[in-house]
Amino acid sequence: MFDYAFMRNAFLISLLISLICPLIGTFLVLRRYSMIGDALSHASLAGVATGLLFHANPIISAFCLTSFFGLLIEVLRERFRRYAELTLVIVLSLSVGIAITIISAGLVHANVDSFLFGSILTVSQGEVTTVAILTVVSLLTIFGLFPQLVLLSFDEDGARILGVKARAINYIFSILVAATISVSLRIVGILVISSLIALPVATALQLRQGFKKTLALAVFFSFIDVMAGLFASYYVGAAPGGITAIVSVLLLLLVIFFQSCCQKREVPHAQN
Amino acid sequence: MLQISHLSFAYEQGPYLLHDLSMDIQDGDYVAIVGENGSGKSTLVKLILGLLSPSSGTIRSTFRRPAYVPQPTDMVNKQFPITVREVLDYTRQVLGIKDRNAVDRALDRMHITSLQDHLIGALSGGQYQKVMIAKALLGKPDLMIFDEPSTGMDLKSQDDLYPLIHHLNEERGITVITVEHNLRYAAHNASSFFHVVRGQGHFCTPHEYIQEYLAENGGDCSHV
Repeated sequence: MFDYAFMRNAFLISLLISLICPLIGTFLVLRRYSMIGDALSHASLAGVATGLLFHANPIISAFCLTSFFGLLIEVLRERFRRYAELTLVIVLSLSVGIAITIISAGLVHANVDSFLFGSILTVSQGEVTTVAILTVVSLLTIFGLFPQLVLLSFDEDGARILGVKARAINYIFSILVAATISVSLRIVGILVISSLIALPVATALQLRQGFKKTLALAVFFSFIDVMAGLFASYYVGAAPGGITAIVSVLLLLLVIFFQSCCQKREVPHAQN
Repeated sequence: MLQISHLSFAYEQGPYLLHDLSMDIQDGDYVAIVGENGSGKSTLVKLILGLLSPSSGTIRSTFRRPAYVPQPTDMVNKQFPITVREVLDYTRQVLGIKDRNAVDRALDRMHITSLQDHLIGALSGGQYQKVMIAKALLGKPDLMIFDEPSTGMDLKSQDDLYPLIHHLNEERGITVITVEHNLRYAAHNASSFFHVVRGQGHFCTPHEYIQEYLAENGGDCSHV
């Protein structure tokens, strides 16, 4: 199947997605910001619709507009400290409102479904290059700020006392989340990006390891989820996003079941 | 030196939690901040650490490397997947300390080398506090603030902890502020008490504090 250029493109992007999504997802989940990832992934539809409207690269337009919405969430969170979830409603209303208006008015003459559900057929060489650049820049930024991001996630006040510029890093992190979503939306689809960001991390957390090991496990589970979606999509013809989401939930349930069995076995041993 | 002048603080539209509070702390002091729950002690500490901004008044500090040790029971997130060694190593990196052996020395100093691969959520309150002290000491602090250091700790752990705080203050010259409920240890170690009551505060001796406490509570000394 790798004789086909579209499959090679899809495989390359899938590989990058399975690396970047759990890296960002780990920080999102541990900071209890999973819903921000979910809101921003839906908000990216406004970026896609705007890009298609102006005949621009939809991944770049999604990145620009999702970054804007990410920064808007951070600014609004300062304003609505006690009702932080309100900020998500505001941003979702604005972004989905823009997307629905553009799409329902018939201004976009392209297949929006492929962005909603993901597609392996429509990935162009130009999009592969865009995704690769965004991923490499995001990875370099994450590794450059890695200790700061870990300590901010572990104990934000403690990190600020150590001199970590929490607000600046939160803004940078919002842009990283936007980049991750833009990178993933072509293959996974807007509707299920958040599952790929959160579920491999949730699965890895079940195994109760240290930070680096949890991160490595999340990347491993994410790789399985994305590749299952890719190959199933090739052989079955369904959109990869749906398969990826189903496999990620099944894998989580399998690990929870496996962990429960191990714990039951350990109890009598511990009593001795 | 820490100099607080006419400090007032309120959250947004809320009532003043601290009002016109002033205090001076000199280098090398050991000050125990005492007062009832809700009197504003923790708010005062957050203001000193720069985690909150004053509504009015000023805080001037010459301390360049403040460190904070939270309550042993105030474990940030027990489910967080991080080992003791990782906490210290990421702290070392954030502080810009190149020497990787600094983590080994910090573990050894607090006698927690055997815990280095344990997850932070698996530690007891006393062990967690030792990790937090090791983390604080990595930055070679000139000011250490302990929030209720004996809360949730057994007597043995308390007997280990207070001599250590005393040593850090006396031998290493680190200025110490403790938010304190344990008057026995505080009276024994602290150079002075700072009594916060209804958002205002003043320095006093342990004896004076007990007199004030009895006067406020109609002679009920069950908490003292």
